[in-house]
Formats: sequence, C-alpha cells, structure tokens
Amino acid sequence: MSEALAAALAAEYAAIFAYGPIGVRLKGGAVEQARAAEAAHRTRRDRLVVLLGAGGGKVPAAEPAYALPFAVTDSASAMRLAIEVEERTAAVWRAALPATTGNQRAQALDGLTDCAVRATRWRRLAGMTPPTVAFPGGPA
Amino acid sequence: MVLTDLVRTAEEDQGRGSGLPRRALLRAALAAAAAVPLASCDLSDDEPEPEPSPDPLAPLITGALDLAARHRAAAAAFPELAARLTSVAQAHEAHATELARSIGAAVPSEAVGSASPSDPPPGPQESDMKAALAALRAAEQEGRDAAAAACLVAPKEHAALVGSIAAARATHLEVLK
Repeated sequence: MSEALAAALAAEYAAIFAYGPIGVRLKGGAVEQARAAEAAHRTRRDRLVVLLGAGGGKVPAAEPAYALPFAVTDSASAMRLAIEVEERTAAVWRAALPATTGNQRAQALDGLTDCAVRATRWRRLAGMTPPTVAFPGGPA
Repeated sequence: MVLTDLVRTAEEDQGRGSGLPRRALLRAALAAAAAVPLASCDLSDDEPEPEPSPDPLAPLITGALDLAARHRAAAAAFPELAARLTSVAQAHEAHATELARSIGAAVPSEAVGSASPSDPPPGPQESDMKAALAALRAAEQEGRDAAAAACLVAPKEHAALVGSIAAARATHLEVLK
C-alpha cells in the first residue's frame, strides 16, 4: 500500500521539477496553465507527505534533479513534456488504486483524474485530436 | 453473423431516437461479453451452467453504452460536433467492452432493460446545440460520479479499470465545454 503511494510521491516530485523548464518555454495562457498544474502537483505532494508520514515510516525526499525524457527548447516541446508528465503521473496514480482502499484510494483516484484532465487540457492547447484517451493512466 | 446484424441495424436506426437501437446494441454487447469466457473455458462441458449473479459493475456497462448512444445521437444531429463527440462515444464503447470482458459472463440480463428509463427526453432542446452539449455534460458528470463511487468499493482487480473510466469521463467534460 505505502509502496504505491511512495511511487506516487516520487512521480509528483518529478512532475513539480518538470514544470520548471516547461514554464519558462511557454507563452500567454499556457504559462498560467503550467502554473496552476504545478501548484496542483505541489498540493498532491504535500498531502502524500502527510499521509506517508502519519504511517510512521520515513517519507522519501525529492531528488535534487530529474532527467527529462527530451530537451525542452520551445513552446511545442514544453507542451509535449507537460502532456508526458501528466500521463506518467496518471499511470502511477492508477497503479495505486488496486493497492489502496477507502480514503487512500479516493486520493489516488483524485490524483489520476486530475492528471488525466490536465493532460487533456495540454493536448487541446497543443492542437492534438482527439485530446482524450479512452483509458487514462494506462492500458485498458 | 447475428451480432454484426444487430449492431448494423442499431447504427442505421440511430437517427430515429427510438429506444430500440440502444437495446439492440446492449444485447449485442452483452452477448459478446458472454461469449468470451465460454469460448475460452475448457471445463464447462461437464458442469451445469452456474446461476449468473449480478455483478456490481454491470450498471457501469449499461451506463457506458447509454453515454455512447447519447454522443452518437448528438454527433448525428450536429455534424459540426461529430469529430469531437464520436471520439468520446468510441471511448465509452471501449469502456463497455473492457468492463464486460473483465466481469465475464456474469452480466445480468436485467441490465439490458435498466438503460431505458435514463433515455434522454426527446424534444425541442435537442435541436439546440448548446442545450445538447449541456445535456451531454450533465450525463457525463453523472457517469463520472457513478464510476468514481464504483471505483472506491471495487475489488482490487477492477479498481484500476473503473478508476480509469471515471477519469476518462472527467476528461470528456473538458471536451464538451
């Protein structure tokens, strides 16, 4: 159970990191969208830290830096990375669903849903059609 | 083949707005769902057919097919929305297929009839695109809430699928804005 949530925390750390280089390459309304996304990931991170800390275990810390899957050089690559970050984080939250029950599963579902919605917003902004996927967070 | 005929008839009838096409689709889908485990089961020959017990996920299947039919109907009525709505309809159909596959043959036959009361009321509001989108949003929201509630109580082998469906329905709300 806490392993899945620790994985979610690691994913949230990485997402927060990635929105740094993403944000500086965006313009206009996309900047605001990135800011809101980063704030949402920070909120999730904080909740996970509290949740995992309450269990008495050691809460994993963030790495000083995370390797990005590709270079962010312009607005298009920034949006591509934002989509990928949300998709990857959605997958980790989805994987936490079978490993949790009750309130913790509710948190995992919220995490998955929020990532899926943000991925959709980024795909729309990037002009991708369709902007949705049938099974957010993973294969069917 | 029977299933193909049922589905084709349903698609042809889609524009009429009667309750028939959906029921035909449901029967086809549920029959297809029942066919999967039977075909792959080697032990069934000597065993009596077990009483099918209603699966708590069965309402999600009828709900998904209901949402698919609503989107297809709106796509037919408003061609300018067709691209957007058809991909959403396809997602709902994929959800129904995957849910049926995951619960195998235990789909209750009552599930077929239970979709009828939630039929969209036919009427003048369907001629207005904004109203049609608002009706789809309301249906998606309801479907999202139902899937989210089902996810929270689902056995762990179904939690990821149902959670994914709840999340997908939330993303549909973005598309319907």
